[in-house]
Amino acid sequence: MSLAEKTRPAGKARATGRERKREPRITDEHGRRVRGWELALRYLLLLGVLALTIGPFLWQLSTSLKGPTEDIFSSPPKFLPSDPTLHNYERVADTIPVWDYALNSLKVAAANVVTNCVGAALAGYALARLRYRGRRVATLVFILAMLVPVEGIIIAQFTTMRELGLNNTLVGVVLPGCVSALNVLLMRNAFLNLPYEIEEAAFVDGANVWQRFFRIALPAVKGTLAVVAIFAFMGAWDDFLWPLIVLSDPSKFTLTIGLNYLHGTFANDERLVAAGTIIAVAPLIVLFACLQRYFFRGVGEGAVKG
Amino acid sequence: MPTSRRTFAAAAVAALVLPLSACGSGGDGGGSADASGKVEGDITFQTWNLRANFKDYFEGLIADFEKKYPGTHVKWVDQPGEGYADKISADAAGGTLPDVVNVSPDLVAPLAKAGLALDLDKAAGQYEKEYLEGAWASHRIPGTDGTYAFPWYLNTGPLFYNKSLFEKAGLDPEQPPKTYDEVFDAALKIADKTGGEVATLANVPTIEDFGRYGVPLMNKEGTAFAFNDAKGVALLTRYKELYDAKALDPQALTATPESSGKKFLTGAVAMNPGSALDLANFKKQAPSLYKNIGITDQITSTGHVNMYVMGLMVNAQSGRKPAAVAFAHYVTDAAHQMSFAQQVAIFPSTAGSLDDPYFTKEDGTDETRVRVAAAKSLKDAVNYTPVLFSEQMKTELRNEVAKALQGKQSPEEALDNAVKACDRLLQQQG
Amino acid sequence: MASPTLTTGTPGPGKNRGARRVRRQLPASPWLFAAPGLLITGAFILYPFVSTLVNSFTDRRTLVPGEFVGLANFRELLHDDMFWIGLRNSSLYVLGVVPALVLLPLLLALLVQKNIPGITFFRSAFYTPVVASIVVVGLIWVWLLDERGLVNSLLEMLGASPVGFLSDQWLILLSAMGVTVWKGLGYYMIIYLAALANVPRELHEAAAVDGAGAVRRFLTVTVPAVRSTMVLVAALSSVAAFKVFSEVYLMAGPSGGPAGEDTTLVMLVQRTGTGLTGRVGYASALSVVVFVVTVVLMLLVLRADRKEEA
Repeated sequence: MSLAEKTRPAGKARATGRERKREPRITDEHGRRVRGWELALRYLLLLGVLALTIGPFLWQLSTSLKGPTEDIFSSPPKFLPSDPTLHNYERVADTIPVWDYALNSLKVAAANVVTNCVGAALAGYALARLRYRGRRVATLVFILAMLVPVEGIIIAQFTTMRELGLNNTLVGVVLPGCVSALNVLLMRNAFLNLPYEIEEAAFVDGANVWQRFFRIALPAVKGTLAVVAIFAFMGAWDDFLWPLIVLSDPSKFTLTIGLNYLHGTFANDERLVAAGTIIAVAPLIVLFACLQRYFFRGVGEGAVKG
Repeated sequence: MPTSRRTFAAAAVAALVLPLSACGSGGDGGGSADASGKVEGDITFQTWNLRANFKDYFEGLIADFEKKYPGTHVKWVDQPGEGYADKISADAAGGTLPDVVNVSPDLVAPLAKAGLALDLDKAAGQYEKEYLEGAWASHRIPGTDGTYAFPWYLNTGPLFYNKSLFEKAGLDPEQPPKTYDEVFDAALKIADKTGGEVATLANVPTIEDFGRYGVPLMNKEGTAFAFNDAKGVALLTRYKELYDAKALDPQALTATPESSGKKFLTGAVAMNPGSALDLANFKKQAPSLYKNIGITDQITSTGHVNMYVMGLMVNAQSGRKPAAVAFAHYVTDAAHQMSFAQQVAIFPSTAGSLDDPYFTKEDGTDETRVRVAAAKSLKDAVNYTPVLFSEQMKTELRNEVAKALQGKQSPEEALDNAVKACDRLLQQQG
Repeated sequence: MASPTLTTGTPGPGKNRGARRVRRQLPASPWLFAAPGLLITGAFILYPFVSTLVNSFTDRRTLVPGEFVGLANFRELLHDDMFWIGLRNSSLYVLGVVPALVLLPLLLALLVQKNIPGITFFRSAFYTPVVASIVVVGLIWVWLLDERGLVNSLLEMLGASPVGFLSDQWLILLSAMGVTVWKGLGYYMIIYLAALANVPRELHEAAAVDGAGAVRRFLTVTVPAVRSTMVLVAALSSVAAFKVFSEVYLMAGPSGGPAGEDTTLVMLVQRTGTGLTGRVGYASALSVVVFVVTVVLMLLVLRADRKEEA
């Protein structure tokens, strides 16, 4: 890290930029003052987009809080529940073992984050920085893999998994997506944009390829790594069909499968479904809200001027 | 609620005669059909979206079975409603099908053709007389000579209508339509009176509608479809008339059972077919609608209502066939079906069960009234959807019907095209 | 980040010397680096796809192995109306969605780039649709766009008559595109934010000193600076758009809208190839076509990029 700081060409300019931010007046990312009317316009636009992006989720939340006596199909619609209740969430928890399923989902998602970050960073570095015969072929492999329509290969994937004896295991759920081609290509592009001078300095110092990778290249692409981590977590958390096909033992089910029980055979309760979708989405939103500081900072910092 | 219908939705599928080289040996199962022997060992029992509401019932059932047959152990796995066919396909292709599987007739057919379902006429023929004749027959597959699943629960239902919408259109809410013609006339009247605001029907006609209207669906041998006769054309022509008058909901072309159920709940549609299960749901979801709900008999021109059948299939490649057959029979025997029927508004498929006072005695409530009427009609109900009618064929029919309603082709052309496409699919499935 | 040249990635001329030296390393290590990724991709994506390729020349069905039929499946495709409808819809999807996803997230990124109070909240909130699963998103929007849903109630309050978003074949496709764009905004916004962080502020300042207005600065400074990212976004979003499944499936229903007119190619793959009666051979042929078209699409985007560069 310290090495990277030292060699980062923009290091100095950044430091001064940060100091300037501490001044009380409102400035943009370039330290220029933002004018009042412009600020107002910006907030207006921001609020507009905000309504569009999270409005639908709030509507769903509102439905999930409506009690059994409230008519949810009334027209004109009622935005706020007249008598908010957590009853629907209790019913979801009574119907399915939410916590067990969430734990399984968490395991799968966490494993997917680790394998994707490690695998994609390694492969991305190999594609961007290392010279060897077959590098172009390797790149092509990942590009083609990204283009394969997965809807057509799911049964073949399952058969392979069964031959490996990994059906009905959480490992089997993680494996096919554990180093996604898209993530490899994202990492490759991030590494490509790093100036060679940084690594050259380390090379002169006698660092070998692993040291250069871990000490210099990797810290410089933290932002992309954060993007990959979030994508990997989401992908695993939201997936339905693949876990359903691989797993047979209900005790291993993930949350997405579990929530599907709410579209019951004998009852389809809109409130219950709404509560279920909120349960599926809320952990991701909370997680993201906690990490977003690092996420967005990482995105900015990771991109060294090239 | 409406999911129930899709879940039951009985498009039956399957192939003609399987080449002998394929996975199985034609009709009678890959393994031997012999299920005699000691009932013991570990078996897996897969149900379709029943755990959420009936966990205690099934756990009790399994415990009783294990007590009755020491040395057996039943592992119960329940799958969610979505993706059930995909799950079974993957398991069937990968050889990981459970020992006892909850199926509908459309799922049994291809499995039987591939030799993955045990022929119960051979392995458990002694139990046949315990079930209603029609129910046992619903897992018989044309092109094979066996029966491939124990009949389990049945369902059918009345037609619900919105009394206040009837009143608004100047119709007598206490005199609901009784025949197809009356339904169509009422629909046109409602559309006319509300300026096209309120539709009466929310779904395009499906294969079972043609069946109930009295259209022959297949030829006698079960080798080709035949629903493009004059009667079929007449039904579709009426529907086109309704569609043009907005008496058939404009969204019907894209409707799913879920969406049309919702439309009925929001009062956008005046009639909706349903089942006894839906009543409780109406109460819960749209309390303001509930008091306006009228209930009338399912419309049929043949004298027989439509029913949905669920079954339990035994895996022909199971290593524990005696235990699997014993368990499938145990779950579907009269006593256990009766106790299941008392948990939820479905109907037992065992002979005589429908004569139980539970299904014959009225007590003045809507629930009981619907239950008694349904039980009565089930005794000679028919599962109209041909067992060989696959998901892909359903889509073909639906799309051709839609083109006719849109006026892109005549009803004759539509049905001719649909029959042609379905016949081709039938051949290709072989 | 985000160089557009996904295939070659030749570094700029000035960097070559350093590159050559840095690239000297232990002989085995490049493959060690790439091995996990290659292994997984090979075993679980490419190998199954090879079997799809093989199946496309057979009449295989889900439970029936099938026999070699040569090009029969591909010949059948040409006479299948549904195939042409699917090709039309998937292509329209690319045309409708890609321009919006190249441009709107960039504008959004510019909007949230400035560090004004509360901006981190807005950034996260804009990312929320990306986080939610597509099924959840589909359920929410189907309910919102229903004839009696929230959107139509609001339209009615404004005096407009209700719009059949989910009954007209074109409106269904358009609504699905809207959902794709809505869900993709935050995703591509992040990619642009990273790229914008790379734009040297001196450029903006110089332009501002020259008296360039906001629009001109956007066109002369921002766009050229993030051009390579725009190409990347175009490539990613066009491949995703051509393979669209969930959005249309959820809005149009399993049979693909009225008379199947909203069917996309991947929906057709799913419809014909899955289930116990699936025609795996025919669906495989469809998959192969989808694959070939996306390869061509990718090449087109990259070629357009190179031409502009020259």
